[in-house]
Amino acid sequence: MAKLKRRSVFWLSGLLVPFVTLLSPKWLSLAGVGPCWAVLWLLPWSLEEGIISAVISGFFLGLILDAISIDGPTLIPGLVVLGFWWGWLGRYGSEIEGTLNLGLLAWLGSVIYSLSIWLQISFIHSAFLNNPISGWAWQTLLIQATLTAVLAPLISSWFLLRLRDRKF
Amino acid sequence: MRARFFGASQRGRLLRRFFPWFCLTGALFVVRLTKGAGFTDIYAFLTRPFWPGQAQRVWIQSALNAEHQAKLNLLQQENKRLKMLLSLDRNSVRQGLVSAAVISRRQGGWWHQLEIGKGLLSGIAKDDIVIGPGGLVGRITSVTPSTARVLLLTSPSSRVAVWISRNQQHGMLLGTGTNRPQLVFLNSEPEVLPGDLVSTSPVSSLVPPNVPVGVIQSIDFDALPSPNGRVQLIAAPELIDWVQIKTR
Repeated sequence: MAKLKRRSVFWLSGLLVPFVTLLSPKWLSLAGVGPCWAVLWLLPWSLEEGIISAVISGFFLGLILDAISIDGPTLIPGLVVLGFWWGWLGRYGSEIEGTLNLGLLAWLGSVIYSLSIWLQISFIHSAFLNNPISGWAWQTLLIQATLTAVLAPLISSWFLLRLRDRKF
Repeated sequence: MRARFFGASQRGRLLRRFFPWFCLTGALFVVRLTKGAGFTDIYAFLTRPFWPGQAQRVWIQSALNAEHQAKLNLLQQENKRLKMLLSLDRNSVRQGLVSAAVISRRQGGWWHQLEIGKGLLSGIAKDDIVIGPGGLVGRITSVTPSTARVLLLTSPSSRVAVWISRNQQHGMLLGTGTNRPQLVFLNSEPEVLPGDLVSTSPVSSLVPPNVPVGVIQSIDFDALPSPNGRVQLIAAPELIDWVQIKTR
């Protein structure tokens, strides 16, 4: 909790994620698909704070994002897995500094996040939808991953630098 | 042993340490279980100055007049049939129309939903239908005091019973994530053509009958297990700033 108090500004900035998700600015979207804001926020936090904080943050973020989405697939599994992976990388891997690395991590994270939703949708609606959903799902996955990867070097990188400088 | 490991002071420390976490987790679960109540209300309050203007509202009103004209013919035919089935007239149960601004739109991506700027306080309830200019847009899935969430017809979660009133062919409109939902016919040899008007079915328990939905764009008669078609929606969700909600 002491660590959370120290990082309160960044922790509270997590509340912006559902707001920006609801806002979904058109000028930051392609074919109606926007970037994955949860990934952009969770990436720097996990790399800097370690596995437990990252997993808990992923869980809490998933709860809030589920609350503002229609019933169906849940975001919690995808975000918890990403929190664990990035937390492990931050703790035991080599230090992530390059913007290209951050972009690549965000791209892979967004793909994992999308796949977790896609699997759930396919499972829930398997009786009704076979081929028609595939094209749409691929398009959504690729556009979201690309936009997230493009924004990560700007947003996640800035957050990561602030966290390392103890500005938050 | 128990007393040695968990003395009163230690228990107090543990409680003090974990109490904020319990509170935080509890608060987030409340937000989750109420489908964002409070959260979306704050969002609605903060974004109120940026809500769309009244122009499209007026446009919707005139489009609704045209829609009512189109519905008149359908209703007259339907009325004859319903008079024989008196208890099935559900239009008399439906009453007012509430206008609401679209305050959040997620019509692409994994979710196909709208948040509208009116909720419980305006008489909106779960499962009320939402109408855009000319036709059905979706239905309400959850409500907070000042906002409501709309499940769009394009969502993979959406299933609506529809029919082609021209020849009374029934089918199921399934959202596929694209702008053109799939119409699966219940009849193995439907006598339908591209351009036929699709409206809500009189046998549906979810939506009132004969609300225009869209126009058949293409049909695949060879599809298995039953023929299906693509429907161009009359009210395109990506262009709608104001909607009307039919309240009970």
